[in-house]
Amino acid sequence: MGIRVNALMCTGCMACEMACGYHRDDAFALLSACIVTYRTREKKDYFGVLLKEEESLVIARPEGLEVRRIGEAGGGGDSSAKPMLLRESCDLCAGMDTGPMCVQFCPVDAITLEFSN
Amino acid sequence: MEYLSSGKILIVDLASSETREEELEEELISRKIGGAGVTTHLYNLYKSHDPIVVGSGLLTGTLFPASDLSILTAKSPVTGTLCHCPVTLKAGIEFKYCGFDYLVVLGTSAKPVFLWIHDGVADISSAEEAWGKDVWQTTDLWRKDMGDDLIQTLVIGKAGEMRSDLAQVSVNYWGSGDVWGFGRLFGERRLKGIAMRGMGLLEIANPEGFVESSKKLLSAVKTGAWKGKAGLVDILSSIGEKDEADWIAPLVHRNSSSYNVPYAGNTFLYLDEDPSLLKEPQGAEPGLLLTSPYGLLAAKALGLSASDSLRLMRSCCRYGVDPEMVALAAFRDGKKTREEIEGSFGLLERKGDIPWKQPFSPMCPQKPMFADFSVGGDPKQIEKWWLRRQALAYVFGVDPLFAGMSPELTAESMIEAVRIGSGIDISEDALDGLIGELCG
Repeated sequence: MGIRVNALMCTGCMACEMACGYHRDDAFALLSACIVTYRTREKKDYFGVLLKEEESLVIARPEGLEVRRIGEAGGGGDSSAKPMLLRESCDLCAGMDTGPMCVQFCPVDAITLEFSN
Repeated sequence: MEYLSSGKILIVDLASSETREEELEEELISRKIGGAGVTTHLYNLYKSHDPIVVGSGLLTGTLFPASDLSILTAKSPVTGTLCHCPVTLKAGIEFKYCGFDYLVVLGTSAKPVFLWIHDGVADISSAEEAWGKDVWQTTDLWRKDMGDDLIQTLVIGKAGEMRSDLAQVSVNYWGSGDVWGFGRLFGERRLKGIAMRGMGLLEIANPEGFVESSKKLLSAVKTGAWKGKAGLVDILSSIGEKDEADWIAPLVHRNSSSYNVPYAGNTFLYLDEDPSLLKEPQGAEPGLLLTSPYGLLAAKALGLSASDSLRLMRSCCRYGVDPEMVALAAFRDGKKTREEIEGSFGLLERKGDIPWKQPFSPMCPQKPMFADFSVGGDPKQIEKWWLRRQALAYVFGVDPLFAGMSPELTAESMIEAVRIGSGIDISEDALDGLIGELCG
């Protein structure tokens, strides 16, 4: 079971980031979110979503999904991804009956919960 | 103020280079609620200084749908009236998380300066290096100097420095809803801009209740008439401007949202790259972001091609001028080509062109978009409806564009969210009274 992000549906609104931050802090804050909107290339209109999982960093970009193993050479993406490595990994909002907050608050349903066999 | 707020007002005196903080009292919030209600109160409190006031709403930066808005309130040097400019994209919430709910700027600096506000700290810094630079160069410079590409800016370009009536305060790189010459006001104060970065935290009186209520509201909002629509192309079509929609459609790259806004109302157009490109472009500056249909219709009326009109609007973004006013002045002065108009940016004047008299920005179309708000066809009723929807958005911190397309976002839902989130009860009568004051 895991989070799946469709980068082409994503509109970069950051609702997932705030929802995740709420799960971590029981308040509104962005600093501890394990899912963030990738938005440092504003003048190029190049954006996507980064998700830190237990052993990997998932990078959802317009050209496709990339999964990098944390700790391996090149793992962790570019400089904008580095602060993500210091954060806690996604726990699928353990303890919340309603499931992952990012899925519930994505207004365009770009984030889904996938069940693997 | 304990909840949905950092509880602080920042007062900056550019003349003395001093800053101080004041407590944001709950009693004030009970009377003026927030957003434009409080920025107007603060303007009147410091009226003898003719201040520039920035503020957020109680719902700004929360999980309440479309809670992206901060507000820039000042007396327009063009109209002489108090006006409110929406601060959207991600800049609205960056301000909220900076550690201050409100900022009051007094006085005039002897030298060019900018305000650097971050994590409850405010610095008045030299803008000597940025003075003379355009909007894009300035935002790039500050992001590079401070080492953070996520810094959000309210900034002027050369037009503001030259105290042009057409000058805008821009948001990061892009045009804003400032049609009142606030850019000139910044220039007169030698204030190049405000750079913001906030990593604060907002406590919630009833966290589970607030999140549950926001989630239910979002579910209702998601079934709204806007569903399946995106960007300026669909907005233009919905307000009867199908020709303009078709005109820009081939250049649309992607649509994006301001913070937590369900509708992707910002449209990026590629001018120097293939709009269908789905990877990082080679060029550093391939196009421009439009955050409203405002300006576009005037640019088209000049008779330029879509590409030339949008290139002209990109130049307006860089120079920090209001594109609609540029188009009007260029038309009046008989300037026909893009190059001619760009070459005369420093010379164009309003000459009495004040097409907008309302206190809220025309960046949001003055009629319902997509949805049926049961307004009817009487222009006076439509104007009344528009003013009330805008006032609600500007008081609570909700996106004003989305307020014009989502009837699910009611006054009652905003009052209820504030009650759950902050513990403050606001009566509908008090809200109606405040809206009456703001709408004049």
